Amino acid sequence: MTSDLHRLVYCSRNRIPGAATEIAAEIDVILAASQRNNLRFGVTGALIFNTGAFAQVLEGACPDVESTFERIQCDQRHRDVQVLAFEGVPSRVFPSWSMAYVGRSREAQDLFGHISKATGFEAKRLEGDRIFGIMHTIAVEEEAGAG
Amino acid sequence: MDIAVPFGENSEAGDVARPHLDETATVALTALNNLKWAVAVIGPDRRVLFSNPRFGALFAGETVAVALAECIGLASDGDGTAARKMTLCDGRTLSIETVRLPQGLLVTAEDVSERVAESGRAAEQACTDPLTLLSNRSMFCERVTELVANLEPTTDAAAVLSVGLDQFKAINGSLGRPVGDALLRVVADRLRSALRQGDIAARFTGSEFGIMQTGQPQPQSAAALAERLTDLLSRSYTLDGHLLNIDASVGIALIPDDGNSCDQVMRNADLALDRAKQERPGSYRFFETVMNEQMQVRRDLELGLRTALALRELALVYQPQLNLVSNEITGFEALLRWHDPKQGLIFPAKFIPLEEETGLVVPIGEWVIRTACREAAGWPPSLSVAVNVSAIQFNSLKLFSVIQSALEESGLDPSRLELEITESVLLGDQRSALEVLQKVREIGVRVSMDDFGTGFSSLSYLRSFPFDRIKIDQSFVRVRPDDPNSGVIVRAIAALGRSLGMATIAEGVETEAQLARATANGCTDVQGYLISKPLPPEQIGGFLQAQTEILAAAPATA
Repeated sequence: MTSDLHRLVYCSRNRIPGAATEIAAEIDVILAASQRNNLRFGVTGALIFNTGAFAQVLEGACPDVESTFERIQCDQRHRDVQVLAFEGVPSRVFPSWSMAYVGRSREAQDLFGHISKATGFEAKRLEGDRIFGIMHTIAVEEEAGAG
Repeated sequence: MDIAVPFGENSEAGDVARPHLDETATVALTALNNLKWAVAVIGPDRRVLFSNPRFGALFAGETVAVALAECIGLASDGDGTAARKMTLCDGRTLSIETVRLPQGLLVTAEDVSERVAESGRAAEQACTDPLTLLSNRSMFCERVTELVANLEPTTDAAAVLSVGLDQFKAINGSLGRPVGDALLRVVADRLRSALRQGDIAARFTGSEFGIMQTGQPQPQSAAALAERLTDLLSRSYTLDGHLLNIDASVGIALIPDDGNSCDQVMRNADLALDRAKQERPGSYRFFETVMNEQMQVRRDLELGLRTALALRELALVYQPQLNLVSNEITGFEALLRWHDPKQGLIFPAKFIPLEEETGLVVPIGEWVIRTACREAAGWPPSLSVAVNVSAIQFNSLKLFSVIQSALEESGLDPSRLELEITESVLLGDQRSALEVLQKVREIGVRVSMDDFGTGFSSLSYLRSFPFDRIKIDQSFVRVRPDDPNSGVIVRAIAALGRSLGMATIAEGVETEAQLARATANGCTDVQGYLISKPLPPEQIGGFLQAQTEILAAAPATA
């Protein structure tokens, strides 16, 4: 069993019913739970979301990333989970855990804009990596599809 | 070697004075004192005539008196022969036998606590799959058989789901047994997480699992669980650095429809599973094909409903409400219609339950409120609009803010908006629904109780909130010739409304006779096809115009 640093990247469709304001309450819950769990298990990364999609990067020791991902897999608030990458990596791209709304909706920007600042999300960390770029694109596309 | 032998005056010890008997007695006594069993002889006066050390140890302390009393009680009937297991208050289980002797009661006892625990563990092991700790197949069969035997065919329904994993053999082959086993354990955990109280899960063999679902409405509940499982179990797994994907298919057999024995039911569930794997891996099938068709229709309906709002296939029509005193139209009830391009017009009865089950009632309900307010704002100011609000919408914290913002956006005066709610809104978590209703009332919106008289305790709900109006269900309005009581009931409800300061509106008025009766029974308003069928918004102006003309032409009433 390997305990080396691993990274997992996935995208999924947001399944929380309703428009941006309905989703807000759920997002708060997800934020609180993720920060709690990730602190406990030393899993860092970033979660980007909009009304259509979730996309997340998880970094940590392999068994911790696996158990965190397993919890995420059992969550009914999203579906069509697509794993984009899962591999051993030499170092973390995200030294802490952060979250941000990524998308084009004005209303959502108003509702969720504060989260990225509050969690110290740095968009530039998502640049310069093919997988992260794909993740970002998929998330933004899904927002349009969700209506 | 302790010899705890209380020889009393009445003992027959003196009879064994002869030498060889003496020796035998000594040997016997030694044997008794070294037995692993507790032995005692209790005289008719409850005195312990003889006891070996083991007896003394086993029955030490307070338990003695209780235990002895029980033994004696046991043995007092019949010939004194008895055998039983007894659990002491300290948790130990003893096996006790008694035999009547001329001298008294012979008691033999043994501490069998360990053996009982051991057999408990073994029994559990015999029913449990060691890898996943789910039940095993034989245990599952026992429970299914038990269920089938005790089922009330008219009221109870149950389902057996057979879950099969595709590509599992390949994983075992390429990555080895340990990974395969670890995967099965995670699958079992995910499976367990999808179950409800009362459901039983088992691992049959290899990569096949079974679930028995009881106490839930069928076939919807089995379909919902199968849907969840095919989704959940097919999501990727990360194990030991590997990313693994499998498909889970499910076959469903209903009890008692698809079998009245465990074998039959499970065979049919397996057949359904095979069909699912063949037709589309990662899906579920019912054993009965008709059921599959019904589920398909339901699924299509649900999919359609999800997009109906976005695709503008939903529309509101408005049915006029007439006041019996002024003979004027006072408002309209907004009713939802769905124009599906493929199926045509679909009536609410067909899709409203689905709306509520899927939670779509919240976004759709919001759209209804906003649209109705916007439409009504364009009507003459004397007219109000009534909107149906479901109990589920009250669970959403947003309902009040939706209503408030709909009124603001449209500019509609709050007193021109009426919410029609049924009893179900006030069932269950009354407090939060009541809070919303109070808030709504405070800003001037009116509230009426719909379908009055059809629920369990309409009257007590009338007490819990100051409704503005009671809507009398059409079943009381459409009186059949052989049912004179409906009129009495309508009269009573109308009188109740008057006393409580609530208007009463008779629903479903279709004939002049019904209208006359509603008027005679004291209702203040009526609604129904006789006045008008529900109208699309563009026809409202014309309808109101025609009404004005009718009124103008009518002879003046005294």
